[in-house]
Amino acid sequence: MTADGTSGPLRIPRRPRGRWKPWLALAVVAAITAVTASPQWGVAVAFDAIARNWQNGALKIVQLLQPDWAFWPRTVAPLLETLQMAVIATVVGALLSLPLSLWAAKLTNPHAVGRGILRTVLNAVRSVPDLLYASVLVAMVGVGALPGIIALVLFNVGIIVKLVSEAIESNDAGPLEAGRAAGGSQLQVNRAIALPDVWPSFINQTLYVFELNVRASTVLGLVGAGGLGLLIDAVRTYYRYDQLSLIILEILVIVVVIDLVSSAIRKRLV
Amino acid sequence: MSVIAPPKPRSRILLVSALIVTAVVVASFWSVDVTWSRLIDLPADIARYLWLMFSAPTWEKLPEALAQTWRSVAMAWIGTVLGIVVATPLSFLAARGFGPAPVRWALRGLFSVIRAVPEIIIAIIILSVTGLTPLTGALALAINGVGTLGKWGYESIEGVPRGPIEAVRASGGSTSQVLRWGVWPSATPEFLSFWLYRFEINVRSSAVLGLIGVGGIGDMLTSYTQYREWSTVGMLLIVVVVVTMSIDAVSAAIRRRITEGARTR
Amino acid sequence: MTIHSHDSAGVGTTVPAPAPWAIRMRDVTVRYPNGVVALDGITLDIEPGEMVSVVGLSGSGKSSMIRTINGLVPITSGSLTVGGHALESTSGRQLRRLRGEIGMIFQGFNLAGRTSVLNNVLVGRLAHTSLWRTLLGAYTDADKQIAFEALDRVGILAKAWDRASSLSGGQQQRVAIARALSQQPRLVLADEPVASLDPPTAHAVMGDLRRINEELGITVLTNLHLVDLARTYGTRMIGLRAGEVVYDGPAATATDADFERIYGRSIEAEDVLGR
Repeated sequence: MTADGTSGPLRIPRRPRGRWKPWLALAVVAAITAVTASPQWGVAVAFDAIARNWQNGALKIVQLLQPDWAFWPRTVAPLLETLQMAVIATVVGALLSLPLSLWAAKLTNPHAVGRGILRTVLNAVRSVPDLLYASVLVAMVGVGALPGIIALVLFNVGIIVKLVSEAIESNDAGPLEAGRAAGGSQLQVNRAIALPDVWPSFINQTLYVFELNVRASTVLGLVGAGGLGLLIDAVRTYYRYDQLSLIILEILVIVVVIDLVSSAIRKRLV
Repeated sequence: MSVIAPPKPRSRILLVSALIVTAVVVASFWSVDVTWSRLIDLPADIARYLWLMFSAPTWEKLPEALAQTWRSVAMAWIGTVLGIVVATPLSFLAARGFGPAPVRWALRGLFSVIRAVPEIIIAIIILSVTGLTPLTGALALAINGVGTLGKWGYESIEGVPRGPIEAVRASGGSTSQVLRWGVWPSATPEFLSFWLYRFEINVRSSAVLGLIGVGGIGDMLTSYTQYREWSTVGMLLIVVVVVTMSIDAVSAAIRRRITEGARTR
Repeated sequence: MTIHSHDSAGVGTTVPAPAPWAIRMRDVTVRYPNGVVALDGITLDIEPGEMVSVVGLSGSGKSSMIRTINGLVPITSGSLTVGGHALESTSGRQLRRLRGEIGMIFQGFNLAGRTSVLNNVLVGRLAHTSLWRTLLGAYTDADKQIAFEALDRVGILAKAWDRASSLSGGQQQRVAIARALSQQPRLVLADEPVASLDPPTAHAVMGDLRRINEELGITVLTNLHLVDLARTYGTRMIGLRAGEVVYDGPAATATDADFERIYGRSIEAEDVLGR
């Protein structure tokens, strides 16, 4: 007996089409993985080399587990430089990003062409990782903290502008309309009306970027751009993995501490 | 008679924190080892280098650049896949309601620690075992990936609506069945989304890993930068930007399809 | 810098606003890019100092009409003169200066929630403030004094430093009125000012608008969709339907039949506010 009271075999509706799609996707993924893992074309996932070198590696791992605490004083100056770079880059990046974020959002910049150009440029800038910028900048301006700071700024601005302009776009257009109705120019209403609403998001993203900067600046020195990275490069050349281990511990501590502090502040912001 | 305004409230906390922040910032600017006077020459210098790089990029070397890019992307792909394979079961164990408390805390701690160590350092550490090969890069990306994917994974599982889970449990399902039928359907779009996002990040990181010699486009970039062959450097930068932006665009399109068109099967 | 002086006024008296403006519309048509004709050949005269209620269903053109007066919506054809200034030929800086003399309040209050009430009211002084002062947030003392007096006039001076979003709906609309007042306007436009408010608050806000009109002599134009409010607050009523004027007469004597003609349907409960 079926639902509408008639008897007879059930009329089962047809299964929806397109169920092959996930299987196709899985097949594509498997194919790509196979190609990228093969020796000729790709990465050569050859674990036999690892098996051979294992003993070698085991010694190093043991070294890593015994940090050289006496090395601590020599890490202080590079550590401070790392933090300085992160702070300066965040400040400069934030100052540059604020007007650019207003420029990139539709609500605060009605001119689509200018917005489009800015967005494309920023997307291009964001495609290059910070270490690559640092590497090229070191060749341009020399070794030290300056190329590191510039690299971080380039890295920051793209991120902050993208996130803050998205936050602006999610705001209400009404208050800005009221400002224009009162006779304000676009710049005036942006400053007097849009900015106060954008402020919490901006501070939030700046703190987030500060965290990223601290993590990034720990390794920028590997290409000569200042901070702990220079020390890391030095100790690894001498295979002093115990000293490396101390440096890693310090990085962990800083990152975790800043992460906690920053989260606490960001929670109180909204 | 003029109206008398109420007094303006002053926030102590705001003032103190502003002072602290300003002090830290000023101290940083002042104590950092940078000759600020060089900043004046900087724009002109940079303009000159940009001209050297982009006025006549060395397109003849493009095939080599593309080959190296393929290696970097392959590194990123394997690293992502390995990371997913290891992280996904771990993130289930680390989620509230699926793993016992001590295991959860241990896993979460592990994720945090792995996440905090930059990939390039991981690569340096495992270099001694795996050598200067792209595999090292892939493994470094995978290991770091376990930390990030693990965290996103358990957060996603915990954010799944409780209803379907209770339904499966109530009809007597085992834990694996709860996972497959209660959690997985709701969580899939999010998982796929951050897997793709992680791939995007890994593509960028793989270029960076080349800097320590594991191969890929970063390797090529470092060499030509050291030789100061700016026109090749310019070409390489263009290649990096174009490839990364394309992968980002494709990945974003797929992610949009996934989150908007998520259908139950 | 021309700032109206306040020291010559006595205790408790108000400084008269500058001479109110009249509105003259001749065959004004508004056609949007998507083809919709919002206003169709409107001819109207509003005298200085009048308080006019504009009624009509949504889609009748009320919102468009009120926005043509300060140029937020451009007119497609016809002529629109506000205070002797022709809107068709005003743009850029002149338009901003014109808008500076026209205050506007909205249904959604349109305040910047995260900043203080005072900063919101100071938005009304933007047309008289230089860009640098705005960027630095450094309004002149005279401007701040004008803002405080505007807040006092609507009775919420004590809230001057409070965050705008922490106020109730009625209080927020009062801030919006203060913002309009701080412009020292010759004309105030109100687009459905009480649609989001409960009855007692709505009457209070409409009462404020009426007081502004009677005490300061400012021309006030209000869009309303509630029948009893339209009759009570305002001397004259204009009814719009499908972009045309279908009623223009005294507000107090408008009958239910008149409203039914304007709305094209009988009056329902939702059209009356009540106490």
